[in-house]
Amino acid sequence: MLFAIAFRNTWRNRARSIIIMMSVAIGLFSGIAVMALYNGLLRSRVRTVIEAETGHIQLHAANFKKDYDPALFLHNGINVLQQVRSLPDVKTAAPRSITHGMLSTPTGSSGVQVNGVDPETEYRVSKLNRKIIEGQGFSAAKTNEIVVGKKLAGKMKLKPGAKVVLTFTDTTGNIVAGAFRVAAIYQSNNAPLDEKNVYVTMNGLNYLLGIGNQFHEITLLLQKDDNVKQIQNTLQQKLPGYQVESWKEISPETELMVNTIDEYSFIILVIIMLALAFGIVNTMFMAILERTREIGMMIALGMNRVRLFTLILLETLILTLAGAPIGLLIAWALTAYYNKTGLNLSILGKDMLSSFGYSTIVYPEFPWHRLAAVFILVMGTALLSCLLPAAKALRLQPVAALQR
Amino acid sequence: MNNTVIDAHNISRVYNPETIPVYAINNVHLHLEKGEFTALVGPSGSGKTTLLNLIGGLDKPDSGHIIIGGTDITSLRANELINFRLHNIGFVFQSFNLIPVLTARENVEFIMLLQKVKRKERDKRVIQLFKQIGLEDKMNNRPVQLSGGQQQRVAVARALASKPQFVLADEPTANLDSAAAFNLLDIMAKLNKEENTTFIFSTHDQRVIERAKRVITLVDGKITADTAAVPLTNHKLIVT
Repeated sequence: MLFAIAFRNTWRNRARSIIIMMSVAIGLFSGIAVMALYNGLLRSRVRTVIEAETGHIQLHAANFKKDYDPALFLHNGINVLQQVRSLPDVKTAAPRSITHGMLSTPTGSSGVQVNGVDPETEYRVSKLNRKIIEGQGFSAAKTNEIVVGKKLAGKMKLKPGAKVVLTFTDTTGNIVAGAFRVAAIYQSNNAPLDEKNVYVTMNGLNYLLGIGNQFHEITLLLQKDDNVKQIQNTLQQKLPGYQVESWKEISPETELMVNTIDEYSFIILVIIMLALAFGIVNTMFMAILERTREIGMMIALGMNRVRLFTLILLETLILTLAGAPIGLLIAWALTAYYNKTGLNLSILGKDMLSSFGYSTIVYPEFPWHRLAAVFILVMGTALLSCLLPAAKALRLQPVAALQR
Repeated sequence: MNNTVIDAHNISRVYNPETIPVYAINNVHLHLEKGEFTALVGPSGSGKTTLLNLIGGLDKPDSGHIIIGGTDITSLRANELINFRLHNIGFVFQSFNLIPVLTARENVEFIMLLQKVKRKERDKRVIQLFKQIGLEDKMNNRPVQLSGGQQQRVAVARALASKPQFVLADEPTANLDSAAAFNLLDIMAKLNKEENTTFIFSTHDQRVIERAKRVITLVDGKITADTAAVPLTNHKLIVT
């Protein structure tokens, strides 16, 4: 009967109740949409990091990353590469020669990381070929070609076919320079990296560095993201003298995002629900004030405080929970739709998003893992919202209330 | 066998005790026995409603004791008093005060649900009460679909649903037209006669006073007369 009274009371002022229910629905939808968008952005960022920047795991000679000394190449690199490729969970692995140097044109110069790559394997690991926006990429016949990022190309006014000079130190410490012709311009989802990284063929770079067929880095892509820790441990045991790092260690800021973005988005939802709580409190206060006489009558007839509190709690819950499924449903439907089609955020500016390492197409993900927490949050909001009005009702004296 | 339902000793209720004290009830003694049909009369402000509130446990006296069925209700705590009212006292209010979102039947059932009466017994009692008030065909109507007189009859049924020791009615006919008032009085009188239900009602209404077996007159918070009622004038039974 209490539920029946609560339910029917909720509809006594239809317009007011519907406004509150829609507020809850919109609030919940907004909160979940933010969570879904964050999840999508996070996943996109992680994919970008793994597939375009670091791979799942990287191998280097110990201390190589301290100074990027070209002499610290991977000893027995070819054997190591074969060992790595033979592991069942490894999807693909690519070698890279790396050095830091200066890219110069007649109009200026810029510090860059020069990545010497084997185009065929590199395309499989970092999908560099898919990011090319101008030019054709490396051709098999030439060794002095260079692929530069869009941001660097813009800064240095480079076009495909333009000539640049790369200057760096070789393994003996002598300064060497080589002339390269721009074969292509690429654009990834990470503009700062595009500005910093240039790609040349490994043969061309190794010739200048004087390291023969050695290389400095092996980048691995695994079959599954979940296997990173296990493969990292296996490799570290097999190759004790090498530095084996996972993407989380190479890109700690992404790892930090993974660990905190859930909390951030949840905080946003809490703030939205808190704001809603004020609306619900106001509505419940109005409901109590309008029904002072009725509540006084119920107390007079023998309705105790526990039942009265339960009645008010039920009314608040109905008011809150009625809007919740609508909000959840809209959030789920829109998330499912954009999860398939992708949400194009280019309106915010492609360069702006890529400067933070994000793709402009985001695939929002419904936060199923947060549903229980969202439900508890909604219940908490209802409970919180009913406390003040309930306290007001519980303080009513039947004689005074009946006289109103 | 002790038939005492209400025994009130030296009860007083004072408003503004620290500034200008107003004695709403001043040292009143009251003794009511089972089956009484008593009217509390007096001019406005004489303390009728205050006295009903005190013996109904809705308000507490500043001094004195009220013993109902052997329980001193002045010593009960708020929650105990609510529970006591639920099981021992029926109320009929001047302005009906039915729960608007419940049907007539649910309004009557409401009290029994609070008392945790089992469904079978509830159903039986509800049907019996609606027969007694002559509204079997209106059981599923909401209060807004009933006339004032019908609403007040439902209120009487609700008051009786808990099988209370007595029913308090504050100006039960004040908002009713003559026909509805007579009809209500007939029902109350019938319940008093057939089921020995004790009724105490405050009223200005001469029609009600004439139907009472006992009339207690209050003036300025004091009982100034306690007599048998004036014999009934003949009236025609009107059923709405």
